[in-house]
Amino acid sequence: MRSWSKSLIGGVAVALAVAGCAGSGGDTGGDNAQSGPRELTVWLMNGSAPETLTNALHQEFQAAHPGVTVKYEVQQWNGIQDKLTTALASNDAPDVIEIGNTQSPKFAQQRVLLDISADTASFNKDQWLSGLEGSATWDGKQYAVPFYAANRVVLYRKDMFEQAGVTAEPTNRAEWLAAIEKLKAKFGSDKDFQALYLPGQNWYSLLSFIWDEGGDIATQDGTTFKAALDSPQAKAGLEFYKELVEASGTKAPKDADEQTPEQAGIYGGGKVAMIIGLPWEVATAAKSDPKITELTGAFPIPGKAGPAPVFQGGSNLAIPANSKDQDLAKEYIKLISSAKYQSEFAKAGMIPGTSTDLSALEAGGPASAAMAKSSTNGKGVPATPGWATIEAGQNPLKDMLTAYLTGAKSIDQATADANAVLNEAFAG
Amino acid sequence: MMAPALVFLVALLGWPALQVVFISFRELNLGELVRGEVIWTGFDNYVEVLSDPEFWTITLRTVVFTTGVVAATVLLGLGLAVLMRHLSRGVRMALQISLVLAWATPIIATTTVFQWMFDQQYGILNKTLVLLGFESYSGHSWFSTGASTLTVIGLLVCWQAVPFVAFTLYAGLLGASKDLYEAASIDGATGWQAFRAVSWPALRPVLAIVVFLSVLWDFKVFTQVWAIRQGGPDGQSTTLPVLLYLKGISGSGFGVAAAVAVLMLIVLVLVTWRYMRLLVRSQETEL
Repeated sequence: MRSWSKSLIGGVAVALAVAGCAGSGGDTGGDNAQSGPRELTVWLMNGSAPETLTNALHQEFQAAHPGVTVKYEVQQWNGIQDKLTTALASNDAPDVIEIGNTQSPKFAQQRVLLDISADTASFNKDQWLSGLEGSATWDGKQYAVPFYAANRVVLYRKDMFEQAGVTAEPTNRAEWLAAIEKLKAKFGSDKDFQALYLPGQNWYSLLSFIWDEGGDIATQDGTTFKAALDSPQAKAGLEFYKELVEASGTKAPKDADEQTPEQAGIYGGGKVAMIIGLPWEVATAAKSDPKITELTGAFPIPGKAGPAPVFQGGSNLAIPANSKDQDLAKEYIKLISSAKYQSEFAKAGMIPGTSTDLSALEAGGPASAAMAKSSTNGKGVPATPGWATIEAGQNPLKDMLTAYLTGAKSIDQATADANAVLNEAFAG
Repeated sequence: MMAPALVFLVALLGWPALQVVFISFRELNLGELVRGEVIWTGFDNYVEVLSDPEFWTITLRTVVFTTGVVAATVLLGLGLAVLMRHLSRGVRMALQISLVLAWATPIIATTTVFQWMFDQQYGILNKTLVLLGFESYSGHSWFSTGASTLTVIGLLVCWQAVPFVAFTLYAGLLGASKDLYEAASIDGATGWQAFRAVSWPALRPVLAIVVFLSVLWDFKVFTQVWAIRQGGPDGQSTTLPVLLYLKGISGSGFGVAAAVAVLMLIVLVLVTWRYMRLLVRSQETEL
């Protein structure tokens, strides 16, 4: 009976927590600027701003605003949406938060973020990153500021390319497929060899192919979005994904994404010539085999002619509507979006959100340089509140890929089904 | 004397449960939650949930899944309990220690191990099957259909639930005195007859409780289902708790999620109705 009563208490605790959420809210923050010592609570995410940057930034900020202490807290990505929901609803909301770009429209639409349309000029608006800007906007108003982003590149083994006689990095689809054929001809006798490791649910890569064909996930009209995966262009992108899977002879599971199992670990195993991944996956691969860093080169994801557009994943900065010190929060964002601190992001291997100066990134090794090259052609997912639901729940693009690649559904059926799920999510 | 306990029970159990019911009649999304707005919408949430044919598929799937897992768990647990009764001390200790270890392993850790075992490319299961001559299992995906995925999840849940059931039933078996078995064997009873006549009466009330608890636990199991394939492929292993999560947490539709929670409670009461009556009655007779 003991464990029964335990689970009972557990259940009560959960129910209480839910009840607590339901009861809270009420008075909103407002701008009652206090005198005397003040505290600015800043939440940034794990793996976001390097410590050297935040240390220098907070020192400068506190020096410029006497009596203000920055309470800096690093949050974990895992479960952040629930934590933000709770925090934004509380009376003790943080003053500056970092939110994933795909989550931003949801928070903006629910009016839990401060409208900063009037202040964008002081946040370097003319240099904002195209892939993020859409996600920071809702219904013509600005609710967030681009912070930093990254996009995927093709990471490849220079030594294998050389041995297989691939002399130049592929710049279009035909060259890419030709390189795969050469690699297979050279190493195909090893049955563990894969010219390209491409799991069935790498939907970020699919987006590149769809955009390259001129298609998109959805069409936008004001705040209304309509799924467009059944367009001929989107289908062509999906077909190229299948062509790539078949041509490369990848043994990756068709029903999993690039994280299960982690593709960097498989690349580090030394039997894979290419993966489509983020620049820092090289470091992950190097954990299996330190030599891999030396041997890895990178090029932008090839399109039909020249580099394909890429999905830019990243973060925005926003001020919760419940923040007690909104003016100070704006000052903080102004400082962090300045060129001085943005260049620190480029140095750390990320694409700065409010600065077009990519020189530090171009100098940061082959993977970063390749990322910088395709970063000017970055795009985002539909900037609709429904998108957060899709990523936190069951992603129809992943289901579509698996169903089409395994032959469970025809291309028309798979795209029509995914379209229906997307439209339902967009409708809220 | 009872008053303080009652107050506590009502405050801790009654109020939150009531809140869930209230919320299920409200429109409560992220915005309403943050702004503290209360919007009553009557039965709108229920209509939305019940009019979705997917909900009925998921309910049926959850009930079938629960039935299968509970049956497997209780049968295995019963088998192990009877086995423990007959084992020598040393072997029994070894068995009990392994059961406790299986029980004590954190859910997510076990789930991860199962994911590795069933991995399409690198899983030990496929590799072993190929070694045994079943070539077709090379690169076989265990998660390509909902039924196959739920079977793996069922195995996992069962593996974690068996120790508790086995121990509880073993305790029940210990309640039947050794003398009774001796008497039965003098009367010439076979092993099966001894089980029917001596073990079964001792086991019945415990078994009822164990089945009841297992139904509760397996019906609302979420962690394993979500961790294995997020209710996929294509939503085919989505159970009611996963639906609740998708509506409430992923979609921030707390009102709709509360309606799903209330409906889950109703299904659960329907499923366990007989057992609840049985429990209440058996307590009355014991008193």
